[in-house]
Amino acid sequence: MMNHISKLAGVAVLAGLSTFAAPPAPAADFSKGSNATELGLIGEAKATFSGKVVDILCELSGNCPANCGDGKRQLGLVRDTDNALVVVSKNAQFEFNGAVDDLLPYCNKAVDVDGLLLGDDPGMPAKVYMAQFIRLKGEAKWSKTERWTKAWAKRNPEAKGEGPWFRRDPRVKKQIEKSGYFGLGKEVDEKRRKENQ
Amino acid sequence: MQRNRRFTGLAALLLAITVSAPIAAAATTKPKPIEIKGEIIDTWCYLSGVMGGPEATSGSAHHTCALWCAAGGIPVGMRAEDGTVYMILKIKGEEPLEKSDTIMEIQSNVITARGHHYVRDGVNYLVVDKVVANDGITNHNHNDYGPVPPFAVPEKK
Repeated sequence: MMNHISKLAGVAVLAGLSTFAAPPAPAADFSKGSNATELGLIGEAKATFSGKVVDILCELSGNCPANCGDGKRQLGLVRDTDNALVVVSKNAQFEFNGAVDDLLPYCNKAVDVDGLLLGDDPGMPAKVYMAQFIRLKGEAKWSKTERWTKAWAKRNPEAKGEGPWFRRDPRVKKQIEKSGYFGLGKEVDEKRRKENQ
Repeated sequence: MQRNRRFTGLAALLLAITVSAPIAAAATTKPKPIEIKGEIIDTWCYLSGVMGGPEATSGSAHHTCALWCAAGGIPVGMRAEDGTVYMILKIKGEEPLEKSDTIMEIQSNVITARGHHYVRDGVNYLVVDKVVANDGITNHNHNDYGPVPPFAVPEKK
C-alpha cells in the first residue's frame, strides 16, 4: 500500500513539476507554404494552416443551430495544431466583405486555409484572420474566397443597379438616410460639405 | 512515517493542481455575466489599420465605413472604456448577420450593454442581452479626419 502511494506521489510530483516548468509557448509561425497576398497591414503575417470551420457561438456555448447558423452567425476556424479558435474577419475581396459566405459551405468540415493573420492592438491579444483561399483538407485545388458579392446580390435582388454593392445596400442606405454619413444627422453632413466647398 | 505522510500530502496537492489545470482552461469558455460600456466598432478596419490608425477608424469619421463593414458581414465589436476589444456574437437575441436594423443603428455609438462574456485564445466575445443605455456617437472625430475613407461621403453632383 505504502509502495503504491509512493509511486503515485512520484508521478504527481513529476506531473506537477512539468506543469510549473512549462516554458511560455513561442509565437507560432504559419507562413511556411503560404501563397497569400501581403497587404502591409498592422501585425500582418502570412498564414496557412489546417482546421475545422465552426460557428463561433456554438463552439463557445454549445448553442448550435443547423448548418452553422445558415449564414446568420459569425464563423471561425479551430486550428489543428493548437486547437485555437481563430476569428475569420475577412475574405479576399476588397469591398468591405466578411468571410461567412466563403466558409459556410465548409461548415464543420476539415479545411486548409491560406491568408493573413493580423492585428496587434493592446486590447485584443489574439490576431484575426483574413482567409484568402480555402479548400477541403488535403485537396489539391484551392478556391479563392470571393463569394460574398454574388451572395449579397442574390439576397438583395431589389438592390440591382450600377456601382458597388455598398452604395446600393438597402440597410446602409436606410441608415444614412436616417442619420447621415457621420451618423450625426444630415445637417452635420451639410455643414461639412459647405465648409469644404 | 511522518515524513511519508508529508510527502504524500504534498504529492496530493500537486496532483490536484495538475489535474485541475485543464479544467480551469476549459472553464474560460464558460460565460460570465457582464455589464459594459464602450464604442461599437468595425473590427476589421480598427485592428488591421487598412484605413489608418485606431483614432481614425472609429467615431463619426468612420461611421459610413462601419455601416458598410457591418452590412458586409465583418464582425462588429465593442471597444470598452479600458481599451479591451470585444467581438459581438449576438445582440438582443438576434444573430449578428440577420437582416435586422439593430446592428446598423448602433454603429459608432457608445452603448452600455448587459449580457455574457466569453474568453478563448486571447479573444473576448460578447453576447448582448440588452442595450441598457445608448449615448449615441460621442467621438466627433470627423472634424479632425473628415470621412475615413475619403470616398465614404460621395461628391454631390
